[in-house]
Amino acid sequence: MGLAGRIKTLLGDERVQQLHGITERALEQHLSLAVTGLSRSGKTVFITALTQHLLHADQDQSLPLFTAAAEGRILSCRNLSAETDTPFPFQDNLTTLSTHPPAWPKSTRSLSSIKLAIRYRRPAGLKRFLGEFGTLYLDIIDYPGEWLLDLPLLQCDYAQWCREQQQLFSQSPRRDIIESWYKQQQHIDWLAPASAHQLDQLALEFRQRLQQLREPPHALSLLQPGRLLLEQAESPDPSLLLFPVLTEQAFAEDIPEDSALAEMKRRYQTYCAHWIKPFYKRHFCQFDRQLVLTDCLQTLNQGEACFNDMQRALNAILQNFDYGRAGWLRRLIKPRIERVLFAATKADHVTANQHPNLDRFLDLIIQDARREIRFEEVDTRCMALASIRSTEAAQAKLDGQVLSCLRGHRKESNEEVALFPGEIPVELPQPEDWNESRFRFIDFAPRALPRSGLKPEHHIRLDQALEYLTGDLFR
Amino acid sequence: MNEPHQSWQSARFIQPDQIDTEQEPAPSFTPATELPPEHTSIVNDLPTAEEPDNIPGQAPPKRFIGKVFTSCIAILLTSAAGMELYRLLDWSFELHTWAGMAVSILVVLTLVSGIWQLRKSLAGLKQLREAEHLRQEAETLQQEHTHGHAAQLLNKLEQHYKYHPQGQEVLQNIHHIDSTYNDTEIVHFLSKHALQQQDLQARHCIQRHSIEAGVLVAISPWASFDMLLAGWRNFRMLKEIMSIYGIAPSAVAQIKLLRKVLHSIAFAGLSDMAMDAGSTLLGTSVMAGLSARAGQGLGAGLFTARTGLTAMELCRPLPDNQQRTPLLKSIANELLCKISGTRD
Repeated sequence: MGLAGRIKTLLGDERVQQLHGITERALEQHLSLAVTGLSRSGKTVFITALTQHLLHADQDQSLPLFTAAAEGRILSCRNLSAETDTPFPFQDNLTTLSTHPPAWPKSTRSLSSIKLAIRYRRPAGLKRFLGEFGTLYLDIIDYPGEWLLDLPLLQCDYAQWCREQQQLFSQSPRRDIIESWYKQQQHIDWLAPASAHQLDQLALEFRQRLQQLREPPHALSLLQPGRLLLEQAESPDPSLLLFPVLTEQAFAEDIPEDSALAEMKRRYQTYCAHWIKPFYKRHFCQFDRQLVLTDCLQTLNQGEACFNDMQRALNAILQNFDYGRAGWLRRLIKPRIERVLFAATKADHVTANQHPNLDRFLDLIIQDARREIRFEEVDTRCMALASIRSTEAAQAKLDGQVLSCLRGHRKESNEEVALFPGEIPVELPQPEDWNESRFRFIDFAPRALPRSGLKPEHHIRLDQALEYLTGDLFR
Repeated sequence: MNEPHQSWQSARFIQPDQIDTEQEPAPSFTPATELPPEHTSIVNDLPTAEEPDNIPGQAPPKRFIGKVFTSCIAILLTSAAGMELYRLLDWSFELHTWAGMAVSILVVLTLVSGIWQLRKSLAGLKQLREAEHLRQEAETLQQEHTHGHAAQLLNKLEQHYKYHPQGQEVLQNIHHIDSTYNDTEIVHFLSKHALQQQDLQARHCIQRHSIEAGVLVAISPWASFDMLLAGWRNFRMLKEIMSIYGIAPSAVAQIKLLRKVLHSIAFAGLSDMAMDAGSTLLGTSVMAGLSARAGQGLGAGLFTARTGLTAMELCRPLPDNQQRTPLLKSIANELLCKISGTRD
């Protein structure tokens, strides 16, 4: 065994990998971008569009407000995803988005990562001493948004979780949906042994209710455990048959070893250890910058309950990231998030004059989380963006008034529609205002993302998001 | 016997509540009262911008005497010149008709060319003022995150660049503005893209002139001659920068710009100065090894560069967000190379 091998065995594989990472970071610029967002907030589309625009940044002037590209300093960009364990299916997504008629990619069901190497020319100045050309490695991971909902579980034990869920499920619409299930639960003595079959049945039913709550008209966000939302199998892994005990027995002091409650507790622990922790430790401790994608229009369509729930979910999720100012050394050893961009997606689904309002409405949703993050001296910003623009701005004359509206294709039927979707409120609307005559945001089908000849019209503010998140590294 | 009239009142006790005071003592507080809401009107909390008419210590400026003085001088000079002109014409016609004709043609020519010059100068001044207005408007737009208020600015910008050789580029970029941009983004986009070519030219011009001025001063053997050279260079550079940004480089406009430039350099904020000095400091550590003359050259070059950059800011119709330090640094570096090269 050579010296290298000996050192390897001495330190252990994990340490070696860590050291390897540190030296790599020291010599080159690495940036790990956290693309965070609940499910259906547009993470996959964002990553695909960003990659496509970056890959063509040297030829197409599609990112005019991304300084490095606008100044023609991006030489080339290379997709190194193949080097990663689970490459991001960029080509598949691009095909979906560029065929005729184009469609949105399917919702993500597993983790994948993308690695881009961006070769750029340094601007005139002191950094030129490092060489005229530099390379920035950009790492992004894509994952189902539902998995994020599980992160808060790492911070609490089963009893605490049950108490939180009890509070959540005591309010409408959750209460109405699980009513019959809750009655079944009440008939069980949780401190006595119970048949596994009965628990499994309850879990399967809970899973079904959870999935029901996620769909419109409820469209709730804070639904835990998140992995249950994706699971369709009739007899899944036992640790995935998890549900909260909502009766007062859940908080009993001493629980017999063979009781049903103890069994649930064990499932909870396995769930945390087996499903959440590896994902968190492997991928969620190393971020330098964060992008939080939020679908504000959905909350406006669905009403106040949906708004509150999304707010709660985002707050809970964002507490699991490590924020703070990071110096050069800190970034090498233990990176943390030093810049956060909150983005309201689907900016193309409202008229352009509503974008400032969309920014402010987004601020309403994330204001608590944002305050926490700002406390750590971390830069934050709100922005309305669309990774792929699916509508065109149009004008219509109605009753002698000129009304700016949108023209696009419906997502479901692909028929062409023109729509004035309503104005975005800058304050939380009154309960009686949440109705369809005030807000009618429909989902549009994407316009094809071309394989070459990209233009600024293909996105909204993607370049500014990129500039905010990475611009300082190209200077 | 009559009771003698008592001229005084006897002392007596009075109940405190019997006291009938003429004036009720005002309560020290305003009692709480309920008012019908429809009788109230909303008060604007924000103080309205009132003209500061009664601020003490701000006496009206005593301009009157000054005005009288200037107008008197003007009247005196014009009448004297007119008289002289009349006498010149009279005398020349007395001398010979041809001589008189020649002088009158000369006078007419002078007048016509003078008016022509004046018109050009005024045009330059107007353009300079326009650029300033545009810049101010753009700066205000940049502060506010509004949407759709930039149309006026764009129209004015189109007008401003109508007859400019590089106007086409600006107009093209104006047409490329995305409909979703808000006003801040429009200003940012145009400042970055529409003026790119002009900025590049101006920067080249500044670099060339500062280096030339620096080298000239460094190798010139006469101390007083240096100053003249540097000043001449600066003036030439201002002229070029003005024409790059589409401002007619007339003498009056040039002098006006020079005044503004000197004003803004003299009253630059501390941070600006520190930033500029930082780039100069970079030079000074190396400068210790140079002779005093070479140091003067470096100083003159950097001063020229600073003048140029300030003039560029003032001529630009849109605010410039670019850092000026990199250019100053690169000029300092190049100058050092050149100067030490010439001395070796």
